[in-house]
Amino acid sequence: MSALLRINNLRVAVGDKPVLNGVTLDVNPGEVHAIMGPNGSGKSTLAHVLAGRPGYTLTDGSVSFLGRDLFALAPEARARAGVFLGFQYPVEIPGVNNVYLLKAALNAVRKEHGLPEVDAFEFLGVVREKMKFMRMDESFLGRAVNEGFSGGEKKRNEILQMLILEPKLAILDETDSGLDIDALKIVAQGVNSLRSPERSFLVVTHYQRMLDYIVPDFVHVLVNGRIVKSGDRTLALELERRGYEWVSDAAA
Amino acid sequence: MPMSTPLSARIAEEYAAAAAALPAGVVSAERRRAALQALGLQGLPGPRDENWKYANLRALERVRFAPAGTLAPSDAALPAVSAAELPAALKGYIRYTFVDGVFAAALSSARLVAAPEHESQERLPASDARFALLNDAFANDAAVLRIGTGNARPSCIEVLFVARTAAAKAASYPRLDVRVASDACLTLVERHVSLTSDANFVNVAGEIDIGRGATMTHYRVQQMGTRATWIDTLSATVAQDASYQQHLVHLGALSARSTVHVRLAGARSAARLHALSAAKQHQVHDAYALIEHAAPHATSEQIFRGIAAERARVAFNGKVTVRAGAHGTDSRQSLRGLLAGPEAEIDVRPQLEIHTDDVRCSHGATAGKLDDAVLFYLLSRGLEPDTAQQLLKWAFLADVVGKIEIPELKRSIELALAGSIDVAADLKDLL
Repeated sequence: MSALLRINNLRVAVGDKPVLNGVTLDVNPGEVHAIMGPNGSGKSTLAHVLAGRPGYTLTDGSVSFLGRDLFALAPEARARAGVFLGFQYPVEIPGVNNVYLLKAALNAVRKEHGLPEVDAFEFLGVVREKMKFMRMDESFLGRAVNEGFSGGEKKRNEILQMLILEPKLAILDETDSGLDIDALKIVAQGVNSLRSPERSFLVVTHYQRMLDYIVPDFVHVLVNGRIVKSGDRTLALELERRGYEWVSDAAA
Repeated sequence: MPMSTPLSARIAEEYAAAAAALPAGVVSAERRRAALQALGLQGLPGPRDENWKYANLRALERVRFAPAGTLAPSDAALPAVSAAELPAALKGYIRYTFVDGVFAAALSSARLVAAPEHESQERLPASDARFALLNDAFANDAAVLRIGTGNARPSCIEVLFVARTAAAKAASYPRLDVRVASDACLTLVERHVSLTSDANFVNVAGEIDIGRGATMTHYRVQQMGTRATWIDTLSATVAQDASYQQHLVHLGALSARSTVHVRLAGARSAARLHALSAAKQHQVHDAYALIEHAAPHATSEQIFRGIAAERARVAFNGKVTVRAGAHGTDSRQSLRGLLAGPEAEIDVRPQLEIHTDDVRCSHGATAGKLDDAVLFYLLSRGLEPDTAQQLLKWAFLADVVGKIEIPELKRSIELALAGSIDVAADLKDLL
């Protein structure tokens, strides 16, 4: 089986400051990988670099996605090829309608695959159904992207976008931050509904709490821009018990 | 002691030559001379004047100030304008068309009432009203609107000002004189366009008086030609329980300057100014808006959205003055400028001057580029960089464009905007 995402010795700097110091990781189709780590370990950087956020310098290593060089693709091309980033802090875009953005995003993916634009009426039906699933009020349909949404509503909106776009690789950057337990369950339910043998997830989180609901196949601990420990889900539980100092000490 | 400038000397000379042809029915000879005298003393505004820093008035050096209608026939021998050249009419609106400031019955859908002279109301601080004095001196016609109380339905009127003559030949002085009687209701669309020449000099003066309990919605659309200089001075007085709403849209001209003064003279009166400016290439759009709270419990709102692309400059100076005794004032200001070019310039300036307690005033002003974080968010959803930028520019203006309630007018403004900020017109369906 060939990896969906292959990260090989990835080194990334912001200005002169190295942030990722040789990350190597294979993600096969259907797998859920959790990336954990203390604050400042580079886990959000990893998520953003994979999605193509500008401002980072690639100093070494490579990333391939479906056998293609990921860094040869612009951010929008990555999205169309099936990479989705769920933001930790989704931005508010006054004046841009939420449903419009969803539709434009979906049509961008469809165009990439030679499919015609989605039928507006059918699309609205699908959105309504998914919103219900995410326990979002229909009034969100007519609102501007994330404008005036609470923290939890923004995160649910991210997952809604993911449900509509059905990416091949979903990168969720601290989707659990700022969520109460009920919202966390809804978000996890959204993620789990999309799990399939073809789709992979990279779940970036500081706490193991979310992994009670999104059960990962693998857990990796990132410290100082390097994966210092990998294991199955029990690693997350052990981290919860012993704290990050345990692996930081081991890494030192 | 202010000195008489060479410019005002030239204005005086041109006035002397044109005086015989300037109708006293529009402005009395006495008032014209008084205006000219005041201008001679003060001179026209320039970049050193407090509220005129950003206006581009360079064209004045080359302007001929006499109005087109007063020239010898050989100078004014332009073919007649045909209705087909004008912007499409608005359904349900009476249209009055003025060509180079003079009423054109053949291009209008109704007759205009005679122009009764009336005593001038209190205007802006004199230093900001000097271009209105220039209009007083030279105006050769006026759009006089008297809206009575008896009308069951709101009056819907469009006044279309067409400038045809090049600035080097003659000027155009559109003049608007509006009175809305107590409890009456008026929607006025005022449009300014160029025909034949795109290098006109247009100097607009307007006075509006809104009676007790009356309502006026005023759309003002400046779509002049690319080399035109367009200057505008408008004063509105709003009586008790009356409301005035102005939508000011600047799209055209090489240099455009609006000076708007709204005086909330009666208790519980209301004023709303929604201004929009989209400039590119070497265009300069400048506006100074003063809302004066002179009575208790009045409310006001100023919203400005401006985009400057390429080498354009957009300025908006929004001032709110709360006079002593205007307690219970509620005033809100939101001024935002967007830089859409490396050499573009935006200047937004909110000002608040309060002379009483017990007021609620909020203001916000921002000027900047498109937010990189927002752009990246759109790219990460698969949108093309070009589409993402256009979408954000369009969305930036949505606050103000969305408030235009006449569908055909809104559509025509959207189409013009799409051209001037390089946005695909079909994007608007996506917002």
